[in-house]
Amino acid sequence: MKAKAFAARLALALVAAGNAASVACAADFDWKKFQGKTVTFLANNNPVAQALLAHKADFEKLTGITLKVDGYQEQQMRQRLVTVMNARSDEVDVFMSLPSREGPQFAAAGWYADLTPMTKGAVAGDYDYAGLSQALLKAGTFDGKLTSMPMNIEGPILYYRTDILKKCGVEPPATIKDIEPAAKKLKACDASITPFVSRGLKPAIAYTFSNMLHNIGGNYIANGKSNLCSAKGKEALETYSGLLRDYGPPGVVNYSFQQISALYRSGRAAMSFESSNELRTVMDGGERLKDTALVPFPAGDAGQVPTAIGWGLAVSAHSKQPEAAWYFVQWATSPEIQKRMALQGIAPPRSAVANDPAYRKWIEEEPVRKQWQAALDVLAAKGSSEVGYPIVANPESREFIGQAVQDLILKQKTVDQACADADKGLDALIAQK
Amino acid sequence: MSKAAATFAEDRQRLELAALSAPAVIFTVAMIAFPVVYTVWLGLHSFSSTGKQSFVGLANYSRLLADAEFWHGLWVTIALYVLSLVLQLVLGVWLALVLFHAKRLPGIVRSLFISPFMMPPVVAGMMWLVILDPSLGAANYILQSLGLPPSEWLASPVWVIPTVALIDTWQWTPYVALIVLGGLQSLPPSVYEAAQIDGASAFKTFQRITLPLLLPTIVTATILRSVDLLRFFDIIYITTQGGPGNASNTLNIYGFRVGFEFFNIGYASALMLTLTAIVFGAVLAFNRLRGAVAW
Amino acid sequence: MTDAPITDAWIRRLNLLQLVVAGIIVLTPTLWMVLSSLKPSFEVTAYPPTLIFAPTLENYAQLTKTTPFLSYAINSLIVTIGSTALGLLFGIPAAFAVSWTRISWPAILTLAARMAPGTLFLLPWYVMFRQVGMIGSYTALILSHAVITLPIVIWVLLPSFDGIPRSVFEAAQVDGCSVTRILWRIALPLVASGVAVASILAFVFSWNYFLFALVLSNGDSKTLIAAAFNFIGEGSTQWGALMAAATLIALPPLILAALVQRWLVSGLTLGAVKG
Repeated sequence: MKAKAFAARLALALVAAGNAASVACAADFDWKKFQGKTVTFLANNNPVAQALLAHKADFEKLTGITLKVDGYQEQQMRQRLVTVMNARSDEVDVFMSLPSREGPQFAAAGWYADLTPMTKGAVAGDYDYAGLSQALLKAGTFDGKLTSMPMNIEGPILYYRTDILKKCGVEPPATIKDIEPAAKKLKACDASITPFVSRGLKPAIAYTFSNMLHNIGGNYIANGKSNLCSAKGKEALETYSGLLRDYGPPGVVNYSFQQISALYRSGRAAMSFESSNELRTVMDGGERLKDTALVPFPAGDAGQVPTAIGWGLAVSAHSKQPEAAWYFVQWATSPEIQKRMALQGIAPPRSAVANDPAYRKWIEEEPVRKQWQAALDVLAAKGSSEVGYPIVANPESREFIGQAVQDLILKQKTVDQACADADKGLDALIAQK
Repeated sequence: MSKAAATFAEDRQRLELAALSAPAVIFTVAMIAFPVVYTVWLGLHSFSSTGKQSFVGLANYSRLLADAEFWHGLWVTIALYVLSLVLQLVLGVWLALVLFHAKRLPGIVRSLFISPFMMPPVVAGMMWLVILDPSLGAANYILQSLGLPPSEWLASPVWVIPTVALIDTWQWTPYVALIVLGGLQSLPPSVYEAAQIDGASAFKTFQRITLPLLLPTIVTATILRSVDLLRFFDIIYITTQGGPGNASNTLNIYGFRVGFEFFNIGYASALMLTLTAIVFGAVLAFNRLRGAVAW
Repeated sequence: MTDAPITDAWIRRLNLLQLVVAGIIVLTPTLWMVLSSLKPSFEVTAYPPTLIFAPTLENYAQLTKTTPFLSYAINSLIVTIGSTALGLLFGIPAAFAVSWTRISWPAILTLAARMAPGTLFLLPWYVMFRQVGMIGSYTALILSHAVITLPIVIWVLLPSFDGIPRSVFEAAQVDGCSVTRILWRIALPLVASGVAVASILAFVFSWNYFLFALVLSNGDSKTLIAAAFNFIGEGSTQWGALMAAATLIALPPLILAALVQRWLVSGLTLGAVKG
């Protein structure tokens, strides 16, 4: 799946046909159909789920279904999910999933129930299936089966300090090529500030690196082979690792969102390339509220192809009550609920919600919120959901990407060696079917 | 007592002793038999991307022998094991002696001294992650205020193993000390009195009398620490996830990631069973030692 | 012999110095954790680290507000006490029998469960306990945690039982005591300090173990430690709340240690029998 093709599909977002069948069924749609049932929801205890579950009582009141929530942090949730699914247990009815990461693998293993018939069957009249980001729906579709409904949209964006840049006479970088000179100037201007920080922890690198690779115009796979050793691939590897090595904090190879946000929040970094979800953490304490600007990652030769992903709600293939589970999924991803979640700071995967007056009013309250939503608009319009290789072994492919970048940060290999070693391992993964 | 009666008494005693260990044995077998058999079965299968399993015999194991990451993981495991164990035993015995001689130390303070291992390892990992952060942490701040060069700690491929070993040592030395303290307290005071009358120096008393008598306890501590250290997991799971690069990728972390991050249950099972065999071998070896030093 | 008092004073001073050094190394990080729990969340990672700040209990308030902290704590207590009790119940007789017979395979067998990586058990146990419908029950968690506590009890008590002179038992046998009676009436009181140590260790290990609870419990029976992860997620990292949770989690084992402190030193009386 090529990033560009993906972006093209995104541009078509709202052109996609509406769902005629759902309208037909809307008249006799009964929210109370599964009254008295209990639906178990395995949640990733992140802000998205927290915002959603704040309205849990409304769902139970509306449907008469009892919602049993089992919440964990991402890594632990995945551990539990893998166990439950491998045991073919019906314990979990609905779970949160990242299609960009585990989608191909879970789909191949048959862990997702096919939601396609459900979106055409029992759907409430106001669901507005067509209003959901078609790109995200596409990203959650495998072999023609829709596996999850998008809950939010997110991606890495560039946070930078307007005051420091101004003090040092640095223009905000307009292209990737501007970042290095800007960082250099910042370093010379104020040695106590880390000019640029992003993810350096091995498994976390692919999230931000993919954005840079796509902007530069590179792609992971060409002619069925791993393509990191292409000119663009090497350029991306060198630029990303060079920025972190020469202008990043010491110990950046252990940096993931926790450290990056802490560093930036405490005022010790000038530019931070991190998830849009981290806005809340970064603004904690209010110190960064007035001196921070947010933009999508600067353009490269291929323009801007930001990474845009989202959490999805999936129904387990082993669930004994997929229809009741679907009721929860459609309630949770309905315009009404997504609007409420948006007002709690969850970027909506529906443009109608993003343009809703109440949400707009909330956005206007703070300049950073405005910039944040503007960046997310770009993500929604141009984004690619490709984080790491679009293959079944996606999580493992991220290891090789991360390893190559770390080898360069730590100067353990030349770029030719690093990309060749990575390509070798990745070719083996691609060949695995 | 007639011979028959004596045999009867012996039989009865043997039976009674067997009955005493029976609950523990039965319970353990009930809990681990299925997991082990199941994991062996999983390890003999491959799980294709369509979710179907197929019998592959020992393919997972031959893959393991050819897997450079496995051998690297083995090396990391052993390096971390030796470094941590030596540090913890030496410092643990020292701490136990210090506490043992501080007889007037209030009980509550004494329990504070052994507190680090009571902290959940995951929490300790998170705490040290913050303290040792090269840019944000207190550790480098202290080093710099003392005029020393800062370290990259967990982020340096060279220093990550010693740093993890230090964290583990901070946490588990008090545990070793507690076990050794138990041993010290069960030593007959008469030996010390005898030594004192002989006018032996404190060091000689320790070397000639205390240490040999403590050996069974130290071996116990070694066995208990070995089973945890060879399966080194929690702190790395929290701090480096095996990085930077694969510098701290212990076998346990590797097996976990293969199974739960890359979803390759078959190969992960083979890795975990191999690790289990390694730990088992180590315990058997140390147990022989235990027999040799018992008094 | 004449300079003994001087040496004594010198040794005592040296001992005090060592005690202080050990104390600083051991306690500083813990103290730092407690202090951090009293800082506003964002100040935990402030640089340079702040030592003077306005202490706040907001992190603790946050804990009780965002998580059913108390009910997790009760879950943890039930599981920990249950598994520690089970470990002692099975472990004490087994350790005694192993020490008596010098046949050590039962001790090694119980340790076998701790030789395998914890992750190895996740899937099989899930399958196993699901068969009998015990996922989410305290029983499943107690049984799984007893696999951790049992070998600790056995291995900590082994040297203690080994330390009792055979003559004590032989004398009792001559008096017509059965093996079981010797264990409960004679041997057990002699290893009271060992039992105290074993109980603390079993308690701590069970209390702090998170992996099994991850799959064997569900929303309702989740343990405290499994819930502690909830403070370090993307978009929701709260160092302050995490440190507060850590402080509270570490408290019960500490309290227990303080309570059984008396037995920790009572082992001294053992020497009377040994001589």
